[in-house]
Amino acid sequence: MHAFAEWLGSTPLSIAIQSRLWLTPLLQTIHITMIGIVFVSMLMVALRVLGQVRADQPLAEVWHRFSPWFWTALGVMLGTGLILTIGEPVRQASALSFWLKMSMILIGVTSALYFGRTVAAAAGAAASSVYSSRARVVAVATIVLWLVIIFLGRSIAYDVEIWESWHLA
Amino acid sequence: MDLTPLVEAAQNSALSEWMRTSLKAVAIINALHIMSIVTVFGTIFIVDLRLIGYPNVKRSFLNMHHELLRWTWGAFGVAAVTGVLMFMVNAVTYHRNTAFWLKMAAMVLAGLNMLVFELGTMKSAPSWDKNAIPPTSARLAGALSIVLWVAVIVFGRWIGFTKGYDFTIPEDVQFDFPVQ
Repeated sequence: MHAFAEWLGSTPLSIAIQSRLWLTPLLQTIHITMIGIVFVSMLMVALRVLGQVRADQPLAEVWHRFSPWFWTALGVMLGTGLILTIGEPVRQASALSFWLKMSMILIGVTSALYFGRTVAAAAGAAASSVYSSRARVVAVATIVLWLVIIFLGRSIAYDVEIWESWHLA
Repeated sequence: MDLTPLVEAAQNSALSEWMRTSLKAVAIINALHIMSIVTVFGTIFIVDLRLIGYPNVKRSFLNMHHELLRWTWGAFGVAAVTGVLMFMVNAVTYHRNTAFWLKMAAMVLAGLNMLVFELGTMKSAPSWDKNAIPPTSARLAGALSIVLWVAVIVFGRWIGFTKGYDFTIPEDVQFDFPVQ
């Protein structure tokens, strides 16, 4: 993986990204704005399950209000994240935070896909439905998961400080 | 007003010194700052969009305002505390950083925009609470809020590129100010 990252870092595409000094902060800014939309979209759905927002609105409707924003912003994040990674492949590959973040995103995306299907199947549920404690635990876990993803995203730049000897370089 | 003595005192404080020497403090504070600022932006963005009338005006604005802004304020509190801590770590250089001041200016403008809205425009909110297009002043407040909070994120990220966070100074780099 390290050899691949070094090769990727020497490709003309990577060098083109690295040599445009304004590109990295611009992409990171877009990336951060988008995680705000991704995280808060999920937060709204989770808070609905917890009964904190939109208690009068069926969960399926809340999901349909926010899921297009979630998926679109996630798509933009994937694009900006990919360009950023191509621009700094060695830093990314040697960061434990990067790999943990990718694993967490996989869990987050899989559970969002699963949730989207489940909620569509249960669309007839009463507007004021109150959710079981199990559903509430899942809602809280989802909020925590996306917060951890943001944390890990920021710690890629501080991988040695955060993980010390666990850093992969 | 010369802020230099205050800025120097912040940087020379024991707390600032502890954060600089601690391996993980800056990293964790920085991550908490991002977690909270994106929550501020995301929650206020929903309220702003509702003010503009997007995607629709079916839901009560006042209800949305009540339900969401407590999360915005909670997150803002965390962002403010972590932001002050980050400033203290390297106060003297941030104090001279243009992007830092642009970020502060965008925040002040966002605050003024909010004050004008909350103390003025919002008084008429019951008449356009739902199923009505909000007045131009309300839609303008929503649009301005989005622009200003995006500006806060833009300038915030720019600080990191115009003033490095990394305190390990390479041996071959010459500084024109004394390094402690």
